[in-house]
Amino acid sequence: MTITMPPPPNKDDLVATWSFLEIGVERIMRNLREGVDMGTYMGIYTAVHNFCTSQKAVGASHGGIIGTSSHRGAHLLGEDLYKNLKLYLFKHLSAILEQSKTHEDEALLSFYIREWNRYTTAAKYTNHLFRYLNRHWVKREIDEGKKDIYDVYTLHLVQWREVLFKDITEKVMAAVLKMVEKQRNGETIEQAQIKSIVDSFVSLGLDETDSTKSTLDVYRFHFEKPFLTATRTYYENESSQFVAENSVVEYMKKAETRLEEEKDRVGLYLHPDIMSPLMKNCLEVLVTGHSPLLRDEFQVLLDNDRQEDLARMYRLLNRIVDGLDPLRSRFEHHVRKCGLANVEKVAAGAEKELEPKTYVDALLEVHTQYQKLVDDAFNGESEFVRSLDNACKEFVNRNKVCKTGSTHSPELLAKYTDSLLKKSAKSVEEADLEASLGQIMTVFKYIEDKDVFQKFYSRTLAKRLVHANSASEDAETNMISKLKEACGYEYTNKLQRMFQDIQISKDLNSNYKDWQSKLLDDEDLKKAVDPHYQILGTGFWPLQPANTNFAAPAEIVKTYKRFESFYFDKHSGRKLTWLWQLCKGELKANYIKNTKIPYTLMVSTYQMAILLLFNDQEEIPYEELLAATMLNAEVFDPYLGVLVKYKVLNAIPEDAKAEPGTRYALNYNFKSKKVKVNLNIAIKSESKQEVEDTHKTIEEDRKLLMQSAIVRIMKSRKKMKHVQLVQETISQIKSRFTPKIPDIKKSIDQLIEKEYLERLEGEELGYVA
Amino acid sequence: MSTQIKLQSSDNVEIAVDRDVAERSILIKNMMEDLGDGIMAEAIPIPNVNEPVLRKVIEWCVQHRSDPPSSADEDTDSRKKTTDIDEWDQKFMQVDQEMLFEIILAANYLDIKPLLDVGCKTVANMIKGKSPEEIRKTFNIQNDFTPEEEDQIRRENEWAEDR
Repeated sequence: MTITMPPPPNKDDLVATWSFLEIGVERIMRNLREGVDMGTYMGIYTAVHNFCTSQKAVGASHGGIIGTSSHRGAHLLGEDLYKNLKLYLFKHLSAILEQSKTHEDEALLSFYIREWNRYTTAAKYTNHLFRYLNRHWVKREIDEGKKDIYDVYTLHLVQWREVLFKDITEKVMAAVLKMVEKQRNGETIEQAQIKSIVDSFVSLGLDETDSTKSTLDVYRFHFEKPFLTATRTYYENESSQFVAENSVVEYMKKAETRLEEEKDRVGLYLHPDIMSPLMKNCLEVLVTGHSPLLRDEFQVLLDNDRQEDLARMYRLLNRIVDGLDPLRSRFEHHVRKCGLANVEKVAAGAEKELEPKTYVDALLEVHTQYQKLVDDAFNGESEFVRSLDNACKEFVNRNKVCKTGSTHSPELLAKYTDSLLKKSAKSVEEADLEASLGQIMTVFKYIEDKDVFQKFYSRTLAKRLVHANSASEDAETNMISKLKEACGYEYTNKLQRMFQDIQISKDLNSNYKDWQSKLLDDEDLKKAVDPHYQILGTGFWPLQPANTNFAAPAEIVKTYKRFESFYFDKHSGRKLTWLWQLCKGELKANYIKNTKIPYTLMVSTYQMAILLLFNDQEEIPYEELLAATMLNAEVFDPYLGVLVKYKVLNAIPEDAKAEPGTRYALNYNFKSKKVKVNLNIAIKSESKQEVEDTHKTIEEDRKLLMQSAIVRIMKSRKKMKHVQLVQETISQIKSRFTPKIPDIKKSIDQLIEKEYLERLEGEELGYVA
Repeated sequence: MSTQIKLQSSDNVEIAVDRDVAERSILIKNMMEDLGDGIMAEAIPIPNVNEPVLRKVIEWCVQHRSDPPSSADEDTDSRKKTTDIDEWDQKFMQVDQEMLFEIILAANYLDIKPLLDVGCKTVANMIKGKSPEEIRKTFNIQNDFTPEEEDQIRRENEWAEDR
């Protein structure tokens, strides 16, 4: 059907003009697809123009055409055209509304979209054709602040909303929601339809105060609201049913998939504005609604080490407010339990004494496992890291092995460190050593009694340095710098001084050699002992003179006296104390004839003193040996025992106990696979004694540390309440060890006795300068 | 090179013109947009403008083919306040009064805002500084006020007198 345009109307005649325009507008509405020719286009535009520019319009009010004859001075013509157009749109849309009633569901959506597209396209044309009306009459009306007057395009939208949309929107939304539900149930739907509906609803959001702007109000009220409600209902039903029939792990997968689907749905055909409320609603239903159930499963997943499921749980609960808090305390509890259990296991498995390595490995195993879990499943989140740290701190310091006190952990850790840094048969790769030291630092971080570690570490370091049996100097300095980084300069100060002493001693020895070579002639040098001296500062080294007398062999006395005269010449006023128990030497056994190369016996100074006596006598009774060396019997016996055990000396009679009456003679038939024979073997009881001594010194040092901290605080504050002072002292010392409050109080009392402090009125203490 | 389209004046004369020139008219621009490129072969009927006026309008459009589109705020402020006209436009507007009004009407009809403004400014400049009597003479207007009416208007507008 083609509507042919009648000839252009008389420009002054409203009736004729409108009849002409109505035909044109109708043609654009109904038959746009057939195209509009230029003649029609220009004809309509010209008719509008001519009518609006005519001197006066002939008022008329018949034939259903609205007319007005009121006339002002500078009146712009056009109101009549506007009103007639509005009326036309009302009639047109009423007809569409009527037609829509025959459609349901998807057919209704198709109908709506088809009509909407046709209508809005026509609106764009008509808006152009009525541009002259927009430019003049409409503009003037809007400028004058008239409400309810819009440009022609907006008028189309407003009419659509008022006449059609109002009555049809619920039915349209019902159809949309039905489709979405189908899709959620797994069916394929025509998504583009929903997208068109969304676009249409958004277009209808006109800002009443400014027609050039748009708002989302219409869309939000008519689309978003019902959409969210339907979504909630759908997932409430689905999730409660799913949970009833499936495991929690399955549910988490389902929930995650659903959340992902809904997110994708926004990108596919919804307005981006819905993203945040849609996600919020879905999370509320799918996660918050079932969060107690998820959290109950947490322990089960931890027990079975289900990393992937734990990660999923983390991701889900991380998306809701306060979702993870309950998990953190459970996680902490769990890690602590695992740590304790692991320690208990190795403690039970160990025969007699627990290997330091086994213990440290047990601690590390738990830490490593859960560090990995935190990193992989919990995204390395700082709150979980904190929970892990808290748990580790607990089980590292208080466990089965540390029953008697938290000082056992640092002791074992220091021993393990010693075993790594000491030269041993199985050499460790540089990189492995570095990794192991890093692990030690991991445990060290959790150690509360860092002063205990320091004590044991300095003891073992002293031994490694004195005996020159460090695995690698680099590793030693590396470890010290790690400790320095963790605890500060003061913590490692003494350790570094120990290194310096060793270095200075090296220089000193070469100087001494030069000095000695000038003093002695070649003959003397040949006979002289080749010595090496280590001069160690008393304040830095955790070493004590042995609690026994000792008469050094004459050869040694001669040698060290010479050194002393050299040394005191250089440093007058210093005192040298010889730590014989740490000295060692080598003896060449020329008396054994059954080997071409004479054996070299590596011995301690005490053993040396015993053996050298046999240079003068073949057979010596026990009491004479003891008297000649001047050693205490309890020190002497084990050293002698080693010589007998290795058959360097023979007891006479054979198998006789080390006691007065027993005689000893050199074994001329001594045999050994190696040319160098090490007889300088650590004596068991000795090391046990050392450990006890170390613990004793720790108590002493702690007292001093507390007292010096208290004095430091009081010196700066002058006056302080007792309670505050205790608190302040704890916070200062915490990095070294955790002081007990009664001990602090005792220290305060001692300081008052010594008159460093005085009691003032009202629980206050004062500093006595 | 822009494509050519044809315009047909009210007295049925076809004038070929570059498309971008013709699209200085918002009417033609919108129509091209609405009807698509397919109809370009036909001449576009311009029923309200005759050949001499249309040629004059096209002359202006060629001169101003690459002007930037006027922005909305310029429309309200600076351009309305000033009656300055650039040199070329002044020369262009040196036509007889009848032609001047025809150009203004055509610019209004064809929706060429800047040309409409230039036309109106030209008329405004013709009025500026003239007495009512001189204005009447310039535009050939009959005085249809009674002396009483005239007196009243003068009193009402006394404040605006240039003294």
